[in-house]
Amino acid sequence: MNSFRSGSSRYTVGLPLLLFALLALAAPSFLATQNLVNVSGQIAALLIVSLGQMVVALVAGIDLSVGSVMSLAGCLVATQADPLWGVTLALALGLCVGLVNGLGVAVAGIHPLVMTLSTMTFLQGLAYLLLPIPGGAVPPVLGALANGNLWGVPRPLLWCAACALAVYLLLHRTRLGLHIFAVGANARSAHLNGVRAVAVVVSAYVVCSLLAVVAGIYLAARVSSGDPAMGAAFGLESVTAVALGGIQLTGGVGSILGVVTGALSLGLITNGINLLGISPFLRGTLTGLLLLAAVCAQRRKVVGL
Amino acid sequence: MSLPSSGAEALVVARGISKRFGSTAALQDVNLSGHAGSIHALTGENGAGKSTLMKLLAGVHQPDAGELHIGGRPVHLRDPAAARAAGISTVFQELTVLPNLTVAENLLLGREPTRHGLVDRAAMLTDAANVLARIGIALDPQRPCGSLSIGEQQLVEIAKGVSADASVFIFDEPTAPLNRAEVDKLEQLLRALKAQGKLVFYISHRLDEIFRFCDTVTVLKDGRWVCTEPIEALTHDRLIALMVGRSLQALFPPRDGTAPGPAALEVRELTPLPGAANARLLLRRGEIVGMGGLEGQGQREIIRALAGALPPVSCDIVRHDREGRVQPFDPRHGVEQVVRHGVGLVPEDRKLEGLYLELPIADNIRLGLLRGLGLMRRAPRERGVIEQMAQQLQLRSRDLVQPVGDLSGGNQQKVMIGRWLAAGIDTLLVEQPTRGVDVGAKAEIYGLLRGFVQRGGAVLALSSDLLELIGLCDRILMVRAGRIVGDVPAEGATEEALLALALVDGAESKQPSALEVTA
Repeated sequence: MNSFRSGSSRYTVGLPLLLFALLALAAPSFLATQNLVNVSGQIAALLIVSLGQMVVALVAGIDLSVGSVMSLAGCLVATQADPLWGVTLALALGLCVGLVNGLGVAVAGIHPLVMTLSTMTFLQGLAYLLLPIPGGAVPPVLGALANGNLWGVPRPLLWCAACALAVYLLLHRTRLGLHIFAVGANARSAHLNGVRAVAVVVSAYVVCSLLAVVAGIYLAARVSSGDPAMGAAFGLESVTAVALGGIQLTGGVGSILGVVTGALSLGLITNGINLLGISPFLRGTLTGLLLLAAVCAQRRKVVGL
Repeated sequence: MSLPSSGAEALVVARGISKRFGSTAALQDVNLSGHAGSIHALTGENGAGKSTLMKLLAGVHQPDAGELHIGGRPVHLRDPAAARAAGISTVFQELTVLPNLTVAENLLLGREPTRHGLVDRAAMLTDAANVLARIGIALDPQRPCGSLSIGEQQLVEIAKGVSADASVFIFDEPTAPLNRAEVDKLEQLLRALKAQGKLVFYISHRLDEIFRFCDTVTVLKDGRWVCTEPIEALTHDRLIALMVGRSLQALFPPRDGTAPGPAALEVRELTPLPGAANARLLLRRGEIVGMGGLEGQGQREIIRALAGALPPVSCDIVRHDREGRVQPFDPRHGVEQVVRHGVGLVPEDRKLEGLYLELPIADNIRLGLLRGLGLMRRAPRERGVIEQMAQQLQLRSRDLVQPVGDLSGGNQQKVMIGRWLAAGIDTLLVEQPTRGVDVGAKAEIYGLLRGFVQRGGAVLALSSDLLELIGLCDRILMVRAGRIVGDVPAEGATEEALLALALVDGAESKQPSALEVTA
């Protein structure tokens, strides 16, 4: 991984470490095994969505629809008796949403914010149609995959590791990965160099939507039921995590390490606020400030890249 | 229209190619044939269509009519990737090096070596190192390109084009940012490609390069094919005549021969920067005063200080208006005050500092009419005035709502000058009046400036082209080390005499850099 295009710096890596140290000192229950397992369970979904959000950010895009995709994917697996059929449907949904978003942005030239805002709203409606109130039942097979330990490792961590590995291979071992970085830096230059920029952008949105589906299935499986509003917060949270991780929303700069540090920071803030008994409303305030600080620091550091 | 027959089968044949952008015909019924093992120059004025023709071959644009054949087979190049696949490698005029990729990744972008479907990083590094070594560029293939200088990025760009596995190589004005040694290196590379039996298309304005290493020349003019000739059949003058369609003599408007009018701007003292020399000069109505010198001798600072763009340290300047009244003039008060006094700057980088590229021509000119109006005053909508101005400027555009960014360099410069004319400016400070302007439009811009002084205006023109100074101006000021060291009449001035003034004491030691001035 090349440091000049990872966007990671000592600040993005230091933030979660600092939060961890602070919480360990301030909240005695923080280091309890049960709490750590809870935290990792909470962070897993955000991390998986944020991995996808990063891929889109690398091509200078943004995907607000990930939250609705998560919700709808969760509702799909919660309403289908056959787990295989439910997962297949959900993945097909991700593929379609990614294609629509990507083609809208790359071919129709719609701004990514508007394009994904439309799909977000559309899919949110579908989720409520499918499952007006939280409920349904996720097949127990999936529930078992999302909870508990495997070889002594919490299963949520394995979900994260698998997704991170997949994205790592995609970005750093395939031609598509290099082309994603190239298109993000300058789509026209990449095009002149024989990169098929439209295909690259569409692929990025497809990858993002598929990861959102995975996160949705994971989250639904964790609580064994579907919820049409389950993912609502994840669209903006994933953008926040990505920005906190030093990934440039203008494209071309980002890394998996950045996503991990960004998602960890957000998750630790949430956990800390719970443990310390601080008003949960302050969470948003704090996150907003952090985001602003992160983006300000970024622009000064990597400007011109 | 007949093509020269040179026996062997042509590698690339373009027949009856036409291409329109909007209502502008960029290419009309153009024919071209290039043979393997030759360097084929493509030349013509700016806007002649040479870049467009090459972009069709590079797959960037698709022709509206006509057909392309490569190796005897018709091809349809729907995008740059398809052109590469067809064996065409292009070095574009613009830099396409990506700053967040390494040198190796940039060199092999779009044709990465793979193993089992995954990128083979090790092979990529060795391939890149081989390319760099073969071409003789000392760069670490793992360095990010964002950390390279512009010159180094240009070298990577050329290395990328040259190293491609292709049979046709296109170079679109690759030498603009290169120094002499680098041009020599490029020449070697081109000759090597030729020796390998490749076809090289070389776009350039630089006649010396064309005569040095090209075999065949195709001249385009106004989007039409003019001729294709072997280089032996041409001379410099003939080639220029083919490109321009007229001789260079007619470029400059005649001087009046009358005595200059009353003073317009009397600079008694001007110190542009702390520690800089004091400059004194006088601009009179009815004359064009030129300012020249070696690069970086402070002439640019003088003109910018006068314009208020670079507020001077100290100054004592008097302005005489048309009625002969004397007003104090202090550029330290900023550009707005300077413009209020009727002095306008035509900047060297008009795209960045002068024009609103996205706005239509009419709005760019109309802004001049707003000079001196309060912010809340109703803006004049003088359509007739603007149309008349466009006619006076001899603008070549689709219509007046065309964005200025779409115009050629010459037409942009005309709009820039037109804005000041509309604003009723009576003293123009012009930096590099014809930089990036093709030969035909040059004459028209010279004519505009001459007409402006004939109507009682005054012009101070900064140029690094000595021939331009001699041809355009009435009087030439030479600047050395921030000091005006010579004030000579342009009539009868020679390049040698002006150079001598620009150099003086270090004349022998500085001779090589003097060549850059005239280049």
